[in-house]
Amino acid sequence: MIDNELKITLEQRVAAAVTPREAAVEVMKELQHHYGWLTDEALHEAANLLGLSPLQVEELATFYEMIYRRPVGRRVVHVCDSISCWAMGGETLLEQLAGRLGIGVGETTSDGMFTLLPCCCLGNCGQSPTMLVGDNLYGGLTLEKALDILQREREGIETK
Amino acid sequence: MPKLIIDNIPVEVTQGKTVLEAAKSVGITIPHFCWHPALGKAGACRVCAVKMVDGPVKGIQMSCMLEAQDGMVVSTTDAEAMAMRKQVIEWLMINHPHDCPVCDEGGECQLQDYTIAGGHGLRRYTGKKRTHVNQYLGPHIEHEMNRCIQCYRCVRFYQEFAGGTDFGVMGSAGRIYYGRVADGPLESPFAGNLVDICPTGVFTDKTARFRARYWDYDMAPSVCPHCSLGCNTVPAARYRELLKVIARQNDAVNGWFLCDKGRFTNSAVNAPERPRVPLIDGRQVAWEEALAALLLRIREIGTEYGAESLAIVGSSGLSMEAASLLHLLHEKTGAGSLCYFVDAGEAQQSATVTACLNEQASASMADIQAADLIALVECDLLQDGPMMALAVRQAWRRGAKISLVEDAAGTVAQNDNGLNSTDKLPFEVERVASLIDIPFADAAHPVIIFGGGDKMSEVMAEAGKTGAKLACLLGGPNSFGAALLAKEYGAISLAEAVADKKVRAVVSVEADIPPELLPKLVVVATLDWRNTETVKAAHIVLPTTAWVEMDGTYINNEGRAQRFKKVMQPGLPIKGLNPSLHPPREHTPLVPGGQSRPAWEILVDIVHRLGSEEDIQLFAGQWQRLRDLDATGNGLLLTDIERGIK
Amino acid sequence: MKLVPMRRMGTRCNVIMEQPLFQHNKPGRCVTFAEYRDEGGFAALQKALKELSPKQVEQAVSDSGLRGRGGAGFPTGRKWSFVPRDLPGPRWLICNCDEMEPGTYKDRVLLEANPYSLLEGIVLASYAIGVRHAFIFIRRGYETATANLQRGITECLAAGLLGENILGSGFSCTIDVHSSAGRYICGEETALMNALEGKRANPRAKPPFPAVKGLWGGPTVVNNAESLANVPGIISKGPAWFKALARTPEAAGMKLFCISGHVVNRSCFELPLGMELGEIIEGPCGGMRPGSRFKACLPGGASTPYFSAEHWQVPMDFDPVAKAGSRLGTGGIVIFDQDTCLVAATLNLVRFYARESCGWCTPCREGLPYVVHVLETIEAGKGSREHIAILQDHIKLLNYAFCALAPGAMGPVQGLLNNFMDELEEHIDKQRCPFKARE
Ligand SMILES: Cc1cc2nc3c(=O)[nH]c(=O)nc-3n(C[C@H](O)[C@H](O)[C@H](O)COP(=O)(O)O)c2cc1C
Ligand code: SF4
Ligand code: FES
Repeated sequence: MIDNELKITLEQRVAAAVTPREAAVEVMKELQHHYGWLTDEALHEAANLLGLSPLQVEELATFYEMIYRRPVGRRVVHVCDSISCWAMGGETLLEQLAGRLGIGVGETTSDGMFTLLPCCCLGNCGQSPTMLVGDNLYGGLTLEKALDILQREREGIETK
Repeated sequence: MPKLIIDNIPVEVTQGKTVLEAAKSVGITIPHFCWHPALGKAGACRVCAVKMVDGPVKGIQMSCMLEAQDGMVVSTTDAEAMAMRKQVIEWLMINHPHDCPVCDEGGECQLQDYTIAGGHGLRRYTGKKRTHVNQYLGPHIEHEMNRCIQCYRCVRFYQEFAGGTDFGVMGSAGRIYYGRVADGPLESPFAGNLVDICPTGVFTDKTARFRARYWDYDMAPSVCPHCSLGCNTVPAARYRELLKVIARQNDAVNGWFLCDKGRFTNSAVNAPERPRVPLIDGRQVAWEEALAALLLRIREIGTEYGAESLAIVGSSGLSMEAASLLHLLHEKTGAGSLCYFVDAGEAQQSATVTACLNEQASASMADIQAADLIALVECDLLQDGPMMALAVRQAWRRGAKISLVEDAAGTVAQNDNGLNSTDKLPFEVERVASLIDIPFADAAHPVIIFGGGDKMSEVMAEAGKTGAKLACLLGGPNSFGAALLAKEYGAISLAEAVADKKVRAVVSVEADIPPELLPKLVVVATLDWRNTETVKAAHIVLPTTAWVEMDGTYINNEGRAQRFKKVMQPGLPIKGLNPSLHPPREHTPLVPGGQSRPAWEILVDIVHRLGSEEDIQLFAGQWQRLRDLDATGNGLLLTDIERGIK
Repeated sequence: MKLVPMRRMGTRCNVIMEQPLFQHNKPGRCVTFAEYRDEGGFAALQKALKELSPKQVEQAVSDSGLRGRGGAGFPTGRKWSFVPRDLPGPRWLICNCDEMEPGTYKDRVLLEANPYSLLEGIVLASYAIGVRHAFIFIRRGYETATANLQRGITECLAAGLLGENILGSGFSCTIDVHSSAGRYICGEETALMNALEGKRANPRAKPPFPAVKGLWGGPTVVNNAESLANVPGIISKGPAWFKALARTPEAAGMKLFCISGHVVNRSCFELPLGMELGEIIEGPCGGMRPGSRFKACLPGGASTPYFSAEHWQVPMDFDPVAKAGSRLGTGGIVIFDQDTCLVAATLNLVRFYARESCGWCTPCREGLPYVVHVLETIEAGKGSREHIAILQDHIKLLNYAFCALAPGAMGPVQGLLNNFMDELEEHIDKQRCPFKARE
C-alpha cells in the first residue's frame, strides 16, 4: 500500500501531465522506488492512478530496462556490457563480480542487498568499465574498486 | 484516381489505397502478415516488399505502407524484393516450433502458405529456439505463443479495434509476448476474432481443438441466428458436428468480424438431446405416423373445441421460407389465430420498427461506422447486437460523438448481470436527458440507434425531423421478416390471442410457448430442432433442421434479406453416437438421427395433407424477389418491397 | 568569450580555441546560475527577444550551418523551417537527451557541467518555432544531469527567463523534464514521441514527419541536446562566427567528441569539426595507451562502420566521414588496439542492438539475434563461408527494417566485412579466434 502523501503527489503529477499516460513512466518509477520493485500491487495502483488497465501498465513496465517486475535487492547493480566497457574489460568485471558476490548474473545476494544485472551503455564510456548502483554512477572500475564501492553502498544502507 | 503499373499491368485505384491493395485488385497477391484490411497498416512484418522501379518513390518498399500514386511502376518479382520476402520468412521460421501436424491452423495458415510461396525450405539457423509459456485464456481460445510471428494483429484488433484492455503486448526485442497480465478468460465480447485474425496458430478455437483440418470441413456461407443483425458467417462442420464458426466478410453488415455470442453459441446444434426423430407422446415414430397423428388431433380439436381454438405460432427465429408458409396452415386448418410472435411487446416493436424503417432511411452497419453523431436510445448493445457496439466504436475512433439518452430514472437498460451495461461499452458516451438535447443539426451523418421501448414515437419524430438514419435492434434473426408477414396477414401475438380467445391447441413452428400456457393446452404440436420446454411438453414433435442444415433466408434488423446455405447433413454427430449403435445395426439409407427436415418442407407436406391441391411455391407474390438471392452477395434491402404492399 | 587553452594538447594542434559549450565549465562541479549569467549567459536570449523575430532566429541557425548532433546530421535550421506555423493547436519541441548509444556520453558531460546553455537554447528554439511547451527527454542513469536541469529550470523561472512573458517580451514557454526508464530505442525521434506520450516506444511510420504530425498529433521538432546548446552562441556571436569555428570551410562549428577505448585520455572534448582522426587521437587523446597500436575505431558511436589505420587522415566532419564509408554519427569515437578481436567487438555491438530492438519489425527482432548467432559461431571457431554470405544478406536486407536501429546495427558488421575481412576469414580458416589462441 502506498501512503496518502505519495498518492496525492502522484495524483498531482498525473493531473499536471498533458495526458495521464504521459506520467506513466514517472508513476512506475516512483512506485518502484517505494516498493523496491514494481510489485503486482504497484501495477494495479499505477493503473488506477493513470486510468489504464493493469495490462496496459504491464505493456509499458515490461518494455523498460530499469523497471523491475521481479523482486530485486536493496540496490540493483547494473554493470555496463556495451562496447567501450567491453574494450576495457567490462565483461570480465561482471563475471568476477558475480563470483565474488556468490551469485549468478541476474540473481540477488542471499542477504537481499544486491541484484546483479548487465545493462546497456551507461553513458560513462570515458571511465569504463562502469556500473550504476541504485542511482549512483561509478567509473574506472577494477574488481577491487567495485567491491569497495559495494561495501560502502552496503554500509550506507545499513547506517540509514 | 491514381494510375500505376504493377508487373506490367496498368492499375487504377481509388485515392488512398495502398500499392498492396492495388496489386490485389488485379489479382496479384503480395504476401502480408501485419497488414489487414480492417486494421490498416503497421509496417511491422516487412514481408510485403516490392521494388519501385519508377515514379515518385524508388527502391525496395513495403507495399502495405505506400499509398498508390500516379506514375508508380512496381515490380513484385524483382530479385531483391523476392530475396527480402524470402529472408523475412526465414527470420519468422527461426523460432517457429514446426508443429504443423498438431496445429489446428494447419492448412489454413498464412505462415505455411508464405513459407512455401517464398521458397524457404532449408534451415540455415542452427541456434536454439526461443520458447514461451502459454496462458489459459478462457474456455474458447487456445494460446500457443511459440507459433507467434509478432505481426501485432491480435493486439491491434483487441485494443484498438475492439477496445479491450485486458490483453496486449508485453516485453520487447525478441521477447515480445501477447497475452494477459495473468491467466484468465479474455474479457472482450469480441475476443473470438483473435482466432480469425491471427495469421498462424497462436490463437485457435478451443471448442474445435484437434477435430479436423481445413479441407475436411463442410462449409458454406451462412448467417448468424443469434441476434437481429444478421452477421455473415462460415460455419465449419465435420461428421455432422458443427465444430466452429468463422466470420465471413461483408462490409455492409459485420465487416470482418463476429461477436463471441455468434461464434461460440452453437452447441445446441450438436446437442445429443436434440429432437431428431418424430415423436408422438414421447414415442419415436415414423414421419407418416406422426403427420397422420397431427392431422387427426387438429381435426379432433376442431370438433371438440372448434377450429377457433387452434393457434399457429411462428417466431422471429424461423427462416423466411417457413414463416411465409404459416398463413397457408392457418387457412387450411381454419385456426383461430396466426401468430408470428409470442410476446406482444416484441410483436408491437417489430411492427413499428419495420413500418418506421420504411419511412426513415435505415442505417446499415457501414452507415454507423461512418456516422459523426450517434444517439443511443433505450438499447443494450452488448446484449442485443454486440457487433453494432463494435461499429459504433469505429465511428467513435474516427471522432464521432456518441450520446446516450437516459430513461426517466436516469439509467439505461440493465443487462443480465444487473450491471449498467454502458460501463462495458467499448466507447465513451455523453449522457443526455432527452433526444432534443442532441445537436443533430451540427452533424453531417447522424444515426439514432434504438433498442425498442416507449420512446418509439419520439425517436421516429426526431429522426424524421433531423434526417438522422435509424438503426433498430430487434429480437431475432428474422424479426423484420416476421413483422412484415404479421402485417400482411393481420396476425397478432400469441399473448394477445390467448387473452382474446380460448386457445386450446397450438402448432408451434420453432417458437417458444410460454411455460405457464403449456399445461392449459390440450394439444401441443411443435416443429423444432432445439430441445426446448415446448418440445419437452409437446404431444407431437416433428424434428426440423437447424439453420446450418438447410438453405434459408433471414431478414435482419435493417430489412436486409440474406440467404444462408446448407453447411452439413442433419444427423447425430459421429462423436455423439453410442458405440454400441455403431456401425448402425439397422440397414437403412438414412444416417442415424438424420430424419430432420426443413420446417418449410414439413409445412408444405402438412398443407397438402390438409387437402390442398395447389402446387405450393416458396416465396410467392411479392416475395418472389427473394427467390434468387445470392448467399455471397450483400443481400437485398426489403424496405421498398414493403412499400409495394401498402 | 573566454579563450580556453586546450588541456593536454598534443604537439600538432597546440592552439588556443574557443569552446562555446565548455566555456563556462568549472573544474569538478557544475557552473552556477549566477556564474553563467555573469559570464555572458542568457545574452542571446535577451538579444533574440528584444531584437530578432522568430524567423531571424531560425535564419541565423540556418546560416550557421549547424547540423544535428544526434547522429543523423540534419541541418537544424532547415528542420525548424519545415514546421507549419498556420496549423491550429500546439507545436512541440523535444530535446533528445536519451543518449544510450554505446560510446556516446557527450550530453551527460555537457549537462553535468552546465545545464544553462541547453535551457537557453531550448527557449531560443521555442521562440523561433513558436513553441510554448518544450520537453527534455532524458535517460535513466543521468540523475545528476536531470537534477541540474531541474534546478536550472527553477532558477530560470525565478529569473523570468522561462515561463510566462519571458523578459517582458510577451513570449511564454515552459520546459518539462521527462525522465525515461532505460531503452535505447527511445532515442529514435518517433519512438521518443510514443515514449513521451506514455505508449510503448515503437517508432512511428514516416511520413507523416514529426515536423507536421508529431507529439499528440501536433507539429514537433526533435533536436539533440548538443544541437540546442549551440544555439545561444550562434545567436549572440552570429552565424559566421560559428561556422568559422570549424577546421575546414565545409564544416561548421565545434563538436563534442567523446573518446573511449585504448587511448591515454578518454574524455569528452569540444573540438572543431574537420579535425583529422589521427590529429584527435594524437592530440587531445594523448595518443594510444602504452603498448597499444591503433587498429580500428568506431568513428561516431556504436552504429558506424569501423575505420582502420588507412582512415587516419579523414577529417572528422559529416561529409568526409560518410565519403570514407562510415558516419560521423554522435561523435563517440571508440578506439581499439592491435589486441582487439573485431569479430568479438562486432558481436558485442550486435548483441547490444539485438537486446535493444523494440521488437516491432521482423528484420530487427529476428535478424539481429540471427547475426549474433552467426558471429558467435564464427568467434567460437565453427564458422564457414556460408556464414559470411548470411552476414552479407543481413547487411543488405536489414536496411528494409522499420526504423534506423537495425541498419545502424549492421554498421559495424559492414565495417568488419569491408575493412577486416581477412580477420574474419582467419577465424573461419583456422576454426578458432586468433586472439583467444594467443592468450
Ligand atoms: C535507434 C536510434 C537511437 C537514437 N538515439 C538518439 C539519442 O539518444 N539522442 C539523440 O539526440 N538522437 C538519437 N537518435 C537520432 C534521433 O532520431 C534524431 O535524429 C535526433 O534526435 C535529431 O536531433 P538533431 O537533429 O539535433 O541531431 C537516434 C536514432 C535512432 C535511429
Ligand atoms: S528496426 Fe524495427 S524492431 Fe528494430 S527498433 Fe526499429 S522498429 Fe523496432
Ligand atoms: S560502453 Fe559502457 S558506459 Fe558506454
